[in-house]
Amino acid sequence: MLRKIFSVFGRDIRTSMRDSMAIFIIVMPVVMAVAITLFTPGLNDTTVNLAMLRSDDPSHITYMEQFAKVEVFDNIGDIEKRVNKRDAVAAIVPLESGYEIILQGNEPDMVENYTVMLNSLYELGTTKEETTTTMMSFGHTVPPLKTMLVNMLISMTVMLAGMLIAVSIVGEKADNTINAVNVTPLSQIGFVIGKSMMGGLVAMGSIIVSLLITGYYDINWFMIVLVGLTSLILAFVVGFLQGLASDDVIEAAGNVKMILLPVAGSIIGYELLADKWQWTMYWSPFYWAYKANLLVLSKQADWPTVLLCTGMVLILSLAVYFLALPKIRKGLS
Amino acid sequence: MISVKNLSHSYSNDEKLAVNNISFEVTKGETFGFLGPSGAGKSTTQGILTGLLKQQRGEVIVAGYNTMKVQNERFNKIGVSFEQSNVYSKLTAKENLEFYAKLFDVPTRDPEELIRLVGLEGKEKVRAGEFSKGMKHRLTFARSMINNPELWFLDEPTTGLDPTIAATIKDIIKEQAAQGTTTFLTTHNMYIADELCDRVAFIIDGVIKLIDTPRNLKLQYGQKLIDIEYINNGKVIKETLKTIDDHDRKRIGEIVNNYDIQTMHSKEATLEEIFIQVTGRGLV
Repeated sequence: MLRKIFSVFGRDIRTSMRDSMAIFIIVMPVVMAVAITLFTPGLNDTTVNLAMLRSDDPSHITYMEQFAKVEVFDNIGDIEKRVNKRDAVAAIVPLESGYEIILQGNEPDMVENYTVMLNSLYELGTTKEETTTTMMSFGHTVPPLKTMLVNMLISMTVMLAGMLIAVSIVGEKADNTINAVNVTPLSQIGFVIGKSMMGGLVAMGSIIVSLLITGYYDINWFMIVLVGLTSLILAFVVGFLQGLASDDVIEAAGNVKMILLPVAGSIIGYELLADKWQWTMYWSPFYWAYKANLLVLSKQADWPTVLLCTGMVLILSLAVYFLALPKIRKGLS
Repeated sequence: MISVKNLSHSYSNDEKLAVNNISFEVTKGETFGFLGPSGAGKSTTQGILTGLLKQQRGEVIVAGYNTMKVQNERFNKIGVSFEQSNVYSKLTAKENLEFYAKLFDVPTRDPEELIRLVGLEGKEKVRAGEFSKGMKHRLTFARSMINNPELWFLDEPTTGLDPTIAATIKDIIKEQAAQGTTTFLTTHNMYIADELCDRVAFIIDGVIKLIDTPRNLKLQYGQKLIDIEYINNGKVIKETLKTIDDHDRKRIGEIVNNYDIQTMHSKEATLEEIFIQVTGRGLV
């Protein structure tokens, strides 16, 4: 049985690699992950950027490097050019007595104030070691917006697994090959598992690669895989239903895209609804999956919560699966 | 090898029957032709026998398995060649056969050997999507032999093929039959059936009208005919006369004695003519 399932899986992978639509579906999450990484570095960057002269006192530059990102320039002309670039950079230039802070003028107040305060502390000779303040951190190293974007990408990737299955089923229908498989010893359940493996493994692979690209190395991978695999059940059901109901690839892709609406609705509901209204989204497995992934990506997840969310995804997905099963079986006969 | 008793099937689940209470048996090693026009119930019957259609009424045993029960392992003994070619267009000819070979639990034939057998040598690495209709049909036919089937279902195996390739396919079917393969041949081509089948069944409107060997049918229903072309007053005259009719026999004598004979051929009634005689319907 396993050998046959892997044969279906291998055939689907081989066919997908020769189908431009399937390749697009496989590559898209990775491209999106790269895009998130490229367009969100500023979200991570909460440090003030400073421009200083190379001729300045080296101890001044070293002091500032402890608290800000410092770029050093040879002359005042280069400093002015740097300050006038699009991003927020403040320059500190030594005068005969004291310092001059050069700004473009449109920097946030925080940049100006921070620069003035930092330079004052240097002039006063204050060091970090002298402070009586103690630190307490929740350990959130990634900005919430980036986590939200990556979580949305995971939800989308899960649904793309369904789209991949739908495209594969449409291909089988176009080639009229389902009947040919039905007269082999491969059971219908074996056929379904083989096809689901293709969508599932591609999606899980894409999710893992996307998380690595976006820098989420030290999350709890067991939790991510558990939530991902559970969410995939619904994607499989949607994929088979839409594939069997569609006559061509474009129709299948369009139908599966419609399912992205409840996904988006669940995410918006989770992010925007007040706590007292969150229950209105409990029907959606996407809601629970999004919630669980958010906790894992934010490193705030504990096993009981993740298991609760995963359990809800599983129950709701299985309910849809059993409702859809007769239709899937009939379609594959 | 096949036993069908009182099989009926309705697509609309009512009394409008596509197959109406048919019964027949196919013995091991036999080539059995299931003949009838489009819509007669041939494909419905084959669909039930191959498990592609759910059996509703009657009792069907195929290769020792009751078709009412889902037993996928029975397909290890069965090969099915469809009328509509159905191969993966994005896989090459060889990849197609290799994939199907992996789905069986019994020793399978070498894909390259099968490709050569159906005249597709040199096309092993060509994707089936680039094949002509006839080439796809041959690949579908080759695939049906991948598991060395004991029971072989062939649905219009030579349709759409040029005469040379059709002859090759017929030779393969004869060779398989000689090796003991039981063949269930569904066709509306009476010449193929006449040439290949040990016995034939005529089905029309879901009812089997008769089952017999082509020879017996010809003896029972056929009339030996003579086609004569002769010259009369400078014109070529053509007549077809029955050898069992006294009047026609006298007429043959007259023509032979009095005219210049151009051609004279004896001719047997074809299965098609017998089918029309028995069922009152053509095979279109």
